[in-house]
Amino acid sequence: MTSALLSDLAQRAAHAGLDIVPFAVPLFVLAIVVEMVWAARHEPTAYEPGDTLTSLLMGLGSTVSGALVAGIIALCAGWLYLHRVATVPVVWWSWIGVFVLDDFNYYLFHRTAHRVRWFWASHVNHHSSQHYNLSTALRQTWTGVFALSFAFRIWPALFGVAPGMILTVGAINLVYQFWIHTEAIGRLPRWFEAVMNTPSHHRVHHATNPRYLDRNYAGVFIVWDRLLGTFTPERDDDPVRYGIVHQLGTFSLGTVAFHEWAGIARDLWHAPWRAKPGYLLRAPGWTHDGSRDTSDMIRARWRAAQGED
Amino acid sequence: MSGKLIAAASALIARPDIGPALVIGGETLVSLAMVLALYLLARALRLGGDVRIADKAHAAHLAEAAVTGFAAADITLDRARIGALVRNREGRVLLIRRHGARFVASELTSHAGIRLDRHTLTLETGDRQFGTLTLDLGGEAQIWAASLRRLGAQDYAL
Repeated sequence: MTSALLSDLAQRAAHAGLDIVPFAVPLFVLAIVVEMVWAARHEPTAYEPGDTLTSLLMGLGSTVSGALVAGIIALCAGWLYLHRVATVPVVWWSWIGVFVLDDFNYYLFHRTAHRVRWFWASHVNHHSSQHYNLSTALRQTWTGVFALSFAFRIWPALFGVAPGMILTVGAINLVYQFWIHTEAIGRLPRWFEAVMNTPSHHRVHHATNPRYLDRNYAGVFIVWDRLLGTFTPERDDDPVRYGIVHQLGTFSLGTVAFHEWAGIARDLWHAPWRAKPGYLLRAPGWTHDGSRDTSDMIRARWRAAQGED
Repeated sequence: MSGKLIAAASALIARPDIGPALVIGGETLVSLAMVLALYLLARALRLGGDVRIADKAHAAHLAEAAVTGFAAADITLDRARIGALVRNREGRVLLIRRHGARFVASELTSHAGIRLDRHTLTLETGDRQFGTLTLDLGGEAQIWAASLRRLGAQDYAL
């Protein structure tokens, strides 16, 4: 009976997609309340009401904008699936395989989002808080579809993965990443830290310390960073400072959502023609005249000052 | 997993009998109410607090955190410790101000927009997001105002 229902649920999820995010929202709210009470007792500056309001409204706006343009993503994924070169069966092992593949796709997207300014413009808002708490997890983009970020996630449809499966595992991936945005949890057992993305690993990812810049891109499995050379562990002698290299200094929703797009527009307007593509496709901070720093330049300068290689 | 839970999940996937616009609208209103409730709770719990720059060492640390390798050589603090000016040996000057429960910094690159009024200095960095900041520097205001007049002048002297 149970296995039949489970099979039916899996088939329906593969067909229509099961977005578990709305069902997780009450848990998000409850967890934030618990963390706020923890913060009030142990670390009152872990939260800032204005920052929290901005993060939560960014999350709400992201949900609304996502719902409004969901059809575009569904249409693209559906078109790819219609022209698929194979068909992946909807069985228990294919769900696991698709989940792992989607997490790797998330890693590729996320790494690109930090290394290519076009995608960074959409992703930067998630890093714009100088705080790191569960509300920061909800500081999500409003312009992800405009940036075409979804292309990194839907391509398996061309190889026969049902679009509903992609949507379902993507939602699970997103929900997993909620709980790792906290300072309330230190380090977890070594075996867990070795395989899974954890609060410690993701604190590094949100850091502005030169040692930590552009590291730990993982969504669920930290193994991608370990395998591809982008992993850096959190160190007790280098406490994490959160935010972006040039802190915004404002809680304005418009600025948080669109400031990098406005920066791109300004740079494209003023740059010579041959330099214009660089302001879209090269790393954030790149300029044709060397007047700003990329994260690689900041880290190199820091290493030189430290006497490292 | 129990059969009832699976059956409930199956029913929820379809979200039957109501239009998508109504679903989105309803979820948005409920979410907005939750957002405001969490904001009010954060205020009620007095989270964030009233952070200040503790001393010159703290200001130097904030400057180095803002600009990698920025070594403070000269520092002045606002009397209420809500902001500071930090200069390094190369003559670069960072303006630090409070932002919520954290601090932000911006480099002063020109003397334009700097105004002295007895013990206070009003400073504009040219960065609209950073805004304008007035520091009460006491007797140091005039000394710093005089030194900041040289900002941007080097470019013309080259």
